Amino acid sequence: MQQLTATRWVLALYTALFLAFLYGPFVVMAILSFQQGPEGGPQFPIIEWSTFWYKHVLGFAPPSRVAPLPIGEALTRSLTLAFATMVVSTVLGTLTAQAFRTHFKGSGFVFYLVVLGMMVPGVLLGLGMALVADQMDIARTWWGTAFVLHVVYTYPFAFLVMLAIFNRFDKGVEEAAWALGVPPGRTFRKVTFPMIFPGVLSAMLFALTLSYDEFPRTLFTGGSEVTMPIAIYGTFAVEIHPNLFAFGVLTTLFSFSLLAIYGILMSASVRRANARATGIQEDVA
Amino acid sequence: MVATPDIAAPSAPKQSFLNRNRHYVLLAPGVIWMVLFLIVPLAMMVYVSFWTQTTFAIKPDLTLKSWATFFGSETYFGALLRTLRIWLTVLFLTLLIGYPTALFIGQFVRNKTVQTVLLVACVIPFWTSFLIRVLAWRPMLGKEGAINIVLQKLGLIAQPIEVLLFTELSVIIGMVQIYVVFMVGPIAFMLARIDESLIEAARDLGASSWTIFRKIIFPLSLPGVVVGAIFVSVMVLGEFATASALSGRKVNLLGNIIVTQVGSLKWAFAAVVGVVLTVVMAAVITGLLRIVNLRREL
Repeated sequence: MQQLTATRWVLALYTALFLAFLYGPFVVMAILSFQQGPEGGPQFPIIEWSTFWYKHVLGFAPPSRVAPLPIGEALTRSLTLAFATMVVSTVLGTLTAQAFRTHFKGSGFVFYLVVLGMMVPGVLLGLGMALVADQMDIARTWWGTAFVLHVVYTYPFAFLVMLAIFNRFDKGVEEAAWALGVPPGRTFRKVTFPMIFPGVLSAMLFALTLSYDEFPRTLFTGGSEVTMPIAIYGTFAVEIHPNLFAFGVLTTLFSFSLLAIYGILMSASVRRANARATGIQEDVA
Repeated sequence: MVATPDIAAPSAPKQSFLNRNRHYVLLAPGVIWMVLFLIVPLAMMVYVSFWTQTTFAIKPDLTLKSWATFFGSETYFGALLRTLRIWLTVLFLTLLIGYPTALFIGQFVRNKTVQTVLLVACVIPFWTSFLIRVLAWRPMLGKEGAINIVLQKLGLIAQPIEVLLFTELSVIIGMVQIYVVFMVGPIAFMLARIDESLIEAARDLGASSWTIFRKIIFPLSLPGVVVGAIFVSVMVLGEFATASALSGRKVNLLGNIIVTQVGSLKWAFAAVVGVVLTVVMAAVITGLLRIVNLRREL
């Protein structure tokens, strides 16, 4: 038993070190985002603490030799693309998972076909799509060729999430609604959807974050109008500046607020479900 | 009540058509999407790898020339070997580094809330853009980077370590940090599912902790290891951004070659590299799936 306690402490210490390893670069990045500007580079030591690079990212800084990040256009494109991807892949994922609730011939084939979408590396898919577009004279755009690939990537995630939700779903409730003569459309709206809503929300969150951060697929198929990750990738070739770090910190904060909204919606949905359950129980009593 | 059959009657044939083909109606959008935008592009890539490459364009005259170039060239064949070497190293390190953490989260933390908090803590870095996370390794590893500064302050080294940045080592460090979480998650999930009475029974029968780990815990976590290994392999084999950002374009993986070749409009050659990468990946995944039967285990 003593040996076990010792193991526990060693592993706890190890996990703490592991987390430090995961967060290390992020912490360094956050520190360096307060580097003095525009002369200060993305390395130590900190010449002087300042918020110059945050102003630079947001476009308040006086013009300097460091080109501003194309926040306005690129970020709008990325968010639009992520939103469209989220809607389409969640709808497709829900439809397909709905079909998987009963057994049918060829289910194995369809399952692997869909899951393949998240397994194939982005660079291969991007290359293939670019070749198709090139040969068929289709213009490569972020809202066309890149968008369809984003859905290929996020739809499997939405599908798997919805599949897991439907697996734990009590079919009797739906059947009761049908037996009572409620039309299928109304049943879906009033019975099925509220029950699968937490799953839909998770699928949407998955699709949104994956698409927003996607770049190997977009690189070959996005055309000349860049999305945010492509704009960042473009800076790899030239010198990097702390404005990227400031941008990283800001986007992380943005992601956290998204996560917080998700958490609030999720707990609200759970609370409503609980309240309804108690209400029904009271009615019965 | 009486009116219902009258209204229902005209729509009955339509209903039954929908009901009979319900699966196909529900499946069609997704399947069509995947065939058009996943299967067709991949098939096109295989097809184009046999096309003739001229200076700026490709012609559908079938040839093996691009394939011969790939296997005849030291640079390109070397990139294949380098990709395999880095993949194996990263895979091994993510397992080695990730397993103890997964063991702690899955086996030693019995409180569900603490478990979730720890797992979320592992996932949080993912909410920073992938590319920015890669770039953040530069001020970490550089000659005047955080690691060298700390080591020098502690008096552990006199001179800054220079091999940390713009080498194969920096690419490996970066990839391990980025992908290790994909190993921790599935393993912790499988470990948390192990029935505790099984371990208690073994302990009551006098098995040592090491025996319990070797004979019970590790075999039962194997499906998690395989899932994690598939995630890590798929991502590392298709990588190019980490390599170009952290090696100063010195370490070229297959992915990097595709990007360069597309950049110079050498489509046929890029397609050859793409097919090679696909074959490698398919072999790796099939091999990993041989270890455990995932459909049965999950």
